[in-house]
Amino acid sequence: MTDNHKACPHLSRRDFLKSSAFLGSTSFLATTLAGAERSYANAVKSEDGTYPLIQPENILYSACLQCTVACSIKVKLIDGVAVKIDGNPYSTMTLAKNIPYATKPHDAVTIDGKLCPKGQAGIQHAYDPYRLRRVLKRKGPRGSNEWEVIPFDQAITEVVEGGKLFSHIGEDTDIPGLKDIIILKDATVAKAMKDDVDKIRKKEMTVAEFKEKHKNNLHYLIDPNHPDKGPKNNQFLYQVGRIHNGRKEFTQRWVKDSMGSVNWIEKTTLCGQTSNKSWTFSTMGYTSGKWGGGGHKSPRPDHWNNEFLLVFGTIIFEAAYGPVQQSEPITEGINSGRLKIAVVDPRMTKVASKAWKWLPVKPGTDGAFALAMIRWMLENDRYDKKYLANATKAAANADGELGYSNATYLVKIVDGDRAEKHLRASEIGIGTEEQFVVMQNGQPVAVTPEDKVDAIEGELFADTEIEGIKVKSPLQIIKEEAFSKTLEQWSEVTGIEVKDIIEVTKEFTSYGRKAGVEFYRGPIKHTNGWYNAHALIILNFLVGNPDWKGGTSKPGGGWNYMGANAGQPYDFKKLHPNKVNNFGIPITREGWNYEESTLFEGYPAKRPWYPFSGNVAQETWASANDEYPYGIKAALISSHTPMYSIPGGQAQLKTLLDPKKVPLLISCDIIVGDTSQYSDYIFPDITYLERWATPGAGHHDRVKNSQIRQPVIEPLTETVEVFGEKMPASLEALMMAIAEKLNSSGFGKDAFGQGMDLVRMEDYYLKNVANVTFDKGLNMPEDVQDDEMKLFRESRRHLTPAIFDEEKWKKALKPEEWKKVVYALNRGGRFESHEETYDGETIKKRLGGMSRLYLEEVATTRHAVSGKYFYGYPIYQTVLDSMGKEVNDKREFKLITFKEVWGTQSRTISNYWSQVSIMPENGVLMNSIDAQKLGIKNGDMVQIQSASNPEGIHLLDLGKSRPVIGKAKVVEGIRPGVVGISTHFGHWGYGSNDIVVDGAIIKGEAKRGAGVHPNPLFRLDDNLRGTTLSEPIGGSASFYDTEVTIIPL
Amino acid sequence: MNQDKIDRRKAILGLGLTGMGMAFGELLRVSLNESDKWTKYPSSKKQQYAMLINLDLCIGCNSCTIACKQENHTPPGVQYNIVLKKREGTYPQCKERYLPRPCMHCEKPPCVKVCPVGATKKRKDGIVDIDYNKCIGCRYCLTACPYGARAYDFGENYYTPPNSFEKARSYEYGNEWVREKGKSPINNVRKCHFCLHRIKKGLEPACVQSCMAQARTFADINQVGNAITTNIANENFWRLKDELGTFPSVLYVGKF
Repeated sequence: MTDNHKACPHLSRRDFLKSSAFLGSTSFLATTLAGAERSYANAVKSEDGTYPLIQPENILYSACLQCTVACSIKVKLIDGVAVKIDGNPYSTMTLAKNIPYATKPHDAVTIDGKLCPKGQAGIQHAYDPYRLRRVLKRKGPRGSNEWEVIPFDQAITEVVEGGKLFSHIGEDTDIPGLKDIIILKDATVAKAMKDDVDKIRKKEMTVAEFKEKHKNNLHYLIDPNHPDKGPKNNQFLYQVGRIHNGRKEFTQRWVKDSMGSVNWIEKTTLCGQTSNKSWTFSTMGYTSGKWGGGGHKSPRPDHWNNEFLLVFGTIIFEAAYGPVQQSEPITEGINSGRLKIAVVDPRMTKVASKAWKWLPVKPGTDGAFALAMIRWMLENDRYDKKYLANATKAAANADGELGYSNATYLVKIVDGDRAEKHLRASEIGIGTEEQFVVMQNGQPVAVTPEDKVDAIEGELFADTEIEGIKVKSPLQIIKEEAFSKTLEQWSEVTGIEVKDIIEVTKEFTSYGRKAGVEFYRGPIKHTNGWYNAHALIILNFLVGNPDWKGGTSKPGGGWNYMGANAGQPYDFKKLHPNKVNNFGIPITREGWNYEESTLFEGYPAKRPWYPFSGNVAQETWASANDEYPYGIKAALISSHTPMYSIPGGQAQLKTLLDPKKVPLLISCDIIVGDTSQYSDYIFPDITYLERWATPGAGHHDRVKNSQIRQPVIEPLTETVEVFGEKMPASLEALMMAIAEKLNSSGFGKDAFGQGMDLVRMEDYYLKNVANVTFDKGLNMPEDVQDDEMKLFRESRRHLTPAIFDEEKWKKALKPEEWKKVVYALNRGGRFESHEETYDGETIKKRLGGMSRLYLEEVATTRHAVSGKYFYGYPIYQTVLDSMGKEVNDKREFKLITFKEVWGTQSRTISNYWSQVSIMPENGVLMNSIDAQKLGIKNGDMVQIQSASNPEGIHLLDLGKSRPVIGKAKVVEGIRPGVVGISTHFGHWGYGSNDIVVDGAIIKGEAKRGAGVHPNPLFRLDDNLRGTTLSEPIGGSASFYDTEVTIIPL
Repeated sequence: MNQDKIDRRKAILGLGLTGMGMAFGELLRVSLNESDKWTKYPSSKKQQYAMLINLDLCIGCNSCTIACKQENHTPPGVQYNIVLKKREGTYPQCKERYLPRPCMHCEKPPCVKVCPVGATKKRKDGIVDIDYNKCIGCRYCLTACPYGARAYDFGENYYTPPNSFEKARSYEYGNEWVREKGKSPINNVRKCHFCLHRIKKGLEPACVQSCMAQARTFADINQVGNAITTNIANENFWRLKDELGTFPSVLYVGKF
């Protein structure tokens, strides 16, 4: 009675045994665990032989990566095998009232923190029998899933040297090697060209002048007529999925500073990017005439003291940013009667189940809902006028407020009614061009935001003309937007009754500063997501809750791991001799204004530009296909599966499979995954239980947490040799080996400087740890005593020298640092006490500055495709494509996606305890009213179609596809007219499919392919040749704007 | 109504609990509004371990389920703890509710008296245990348990061959076990024992410790001032299928 029989109709037990036996003999997959036997012999027998899980030498602390939150974990091992994962009691991330940092690990053994089910199930992620151990090279066309195992060194040689790499399977193409792409390696030349491209960008140099000055080096460039496309090195693309501090910089060192490519692209626009960016811009300060600095990407309500929590589309108990941190204070608050919750979400989530009110809003109308609330608040005088009126720091100080706002900074109205830049005092002759203007007693007054002397309060609602310039205050502009519709009309837009809107707003404004709005992905993964986010942020500002106990404040963050602070031992900025300056426009055109590039030729641009965003993941492959701004020659993908994760990923599949568009495609993966299966080469990577990083605190921590992810189990991948050192095959080994072969800077002997080598992973990562250890502040690690040093060794006795060698670890640091670093390693990081959270009625770690209701830099920027200006304040907008055309497919349902608490996108299907056992497959969630209309019963199979996928087909390779079919899950808890599909099922790789290795079939397990994946359905932008609809400012890929048709089968 | 039933059944299917001869509807027929106060509890023992589960706090995340699987190395089909889900109401007035179900450790356990070899017994501390060395795997107790809390270990594993962590030693009842063919606990009946091996070390059961919502309280309820009786002094608690007279040691507050 195994849990897989139901979901696994095609695979008999015998088949699986056969393939497993085969796997054992070739040992390219990790069915046998290296080191297990040896470590068994070394095991320390427990005192009474009954419960070794509480012996300190069987415990190692690290950081989770089963989702992005990176909770602190305590891993318990038996005979060198991880058998249980709990929360780390030293960290507030997993134990709200954490134990004192000074507690000896010996005394912490019986105290465990809590952890979510997927975090616990990480053991099954790491010990997945489908893990790759050795390098695979394709033995058929891309996507054929025919492979051969080749030695690591040979693979490195091939990808670096290039040539006719696949001639033995009849492909005659000459493939460029990395050596042919990474041609600019001269740091001096790179620096000079970079500086002059900056000048071109600022229009301080012409292209002709550039060409003349650099005439001997133009061959390095992709296109000498457009020097801002950068060097040919940029035609190497590195795309990465979830990656944390430390590993992020390690890979950037390689891609950006050693390979000299600007294209290090993360996946964040698939995630909460627009929320992060919108918060950052809304909390930025103004210094020396410029906006910037001081912005915080993830302010969140203080759940421990909140009295009213208004949740917009974030599934707090299931996904969001930390069920582990959020669940306890919220359930405690509900139970004690302290906290009242309302949830605005088309789907009844688990938190909505506990809420006072569930408001099943129409998808994509969160901003409209907020504007309706704002209208009622302004009409009924229920907002914090004092907070909003304070225009300077001095004014805030005088009122005992912690922050101030730009609600009163006059904005110029141009072209009839377009709100543009803030008026500067110099324009009306009352001050400098770095000063703003507010109205006070009917007169304009110059304002310096940071002013600590003049307590200036502005008029909240100004609509006037000064010296012929039409001006309005931001609050006036927002008011006009909120009043552009009646509550009845807003109710029509949102699908929420007027009485409910009023009731919720009344509650929201009845708890002073102890009310807060929380949102993350739900409201922002829409084409109008930026404005939704800004509206929801402003709701917090309108009740003046920033930094107050029970209000909204920033996360505690962590200590600086890159050594930028005074007194830290390793400032990485200074530790890369002969660093190659990367330069040019990223392939995603992020961080650049279209208008400042030499590619500007009016509107529409061929593809969108993203001056306010970064890591625009949905743009990479489509841009490579369009060769805009340039084509690519080689790509490396790691910890990322674009075909599974980028909405409408299959539209990019033909690019991936086309050797003309992507001549060399390399993956570094722990498994033959849903995307890595299309590669030319797959290098094995190590999992989070085998590797390093230094993640910071989660969004819901209010004190400082710096965690250390460190190797806790023996790596399952083969051991390879790089720079004469043995190490597990991994992303780090791959990058170092390529650097060794290319003889590029930053890796190898003297890589950090004279006498400082980077030849093993820990040469890098232990310096991150040392920086955390020695950064100033509370709880600085001390020298460990002998007992802790002994424990340090004993608890790593199962690790082989390739991953743990005490002498080599020590060599990565200065001798005097070692004992303190061990102190941090023994506790899994450096953590402040929960007692550091509050200071009286305020939160200690503060946003502490400007609350921005108006963003002038956004208002003065145009969408590169439509040519239309963005808005600096929240508006309600319907679904628009890049040309600004309304998308309305007139299909019956809106599609939304979500995650169950035991699932994380592409990487938890191997977790048989949790994802597979608790819920063997997902379904198509729909309301009973809709089901009845369509004659669908619970459990019926349905096919799903969309405008971008009218047949409802999922393309798996050029010759293979499958229909998008799922089981109807008929429920009450979803808004009629909306269907929901969770996004962690329906794999076609990741061990779900059969593959051929060295001529033998490796059987997949059908239970890994169970359920339905909505990815192929997502609505594409009609103007962008296969790219999903996107939110144009923060850069988010749209996940919830797709209309679908449900066909009963 | 029908919908709820199907969904619940599916939840159970996923947990591999069907085919145990357990009438499904019965499990959910709970004694709400039970008026017993703790003082009426029939135990006269010095010690009685008990668990209080607050369903108003439970968020249905199954952290407890996974913690238990890891702690006790249970194979597929053996779940000491499950979390039942119930959907109620109609749109938009609807809710989901959750009910974690460990072994009830009944004061009058129906499973104990049917065991032909005396392998399962009510201990002095109130825990109903199974002596793997005595158990002959007849499974009478499975049928006798009205809560579906027992399962038979067929020797299945999640992986073939068994994964390294499946082969690792485990420590139920304070003894050392390795899952090997022909050796206990394979071919034994298995169930929740409140993590007796952890209690012996002064630790809470794994499900209590791991709960993200702090919905569970574990204590010896006959001890003065214990966390359970202190917590529910002014509240009504209820027990599953109380009408059977089994007197479970798992108490619930809040609504299912």
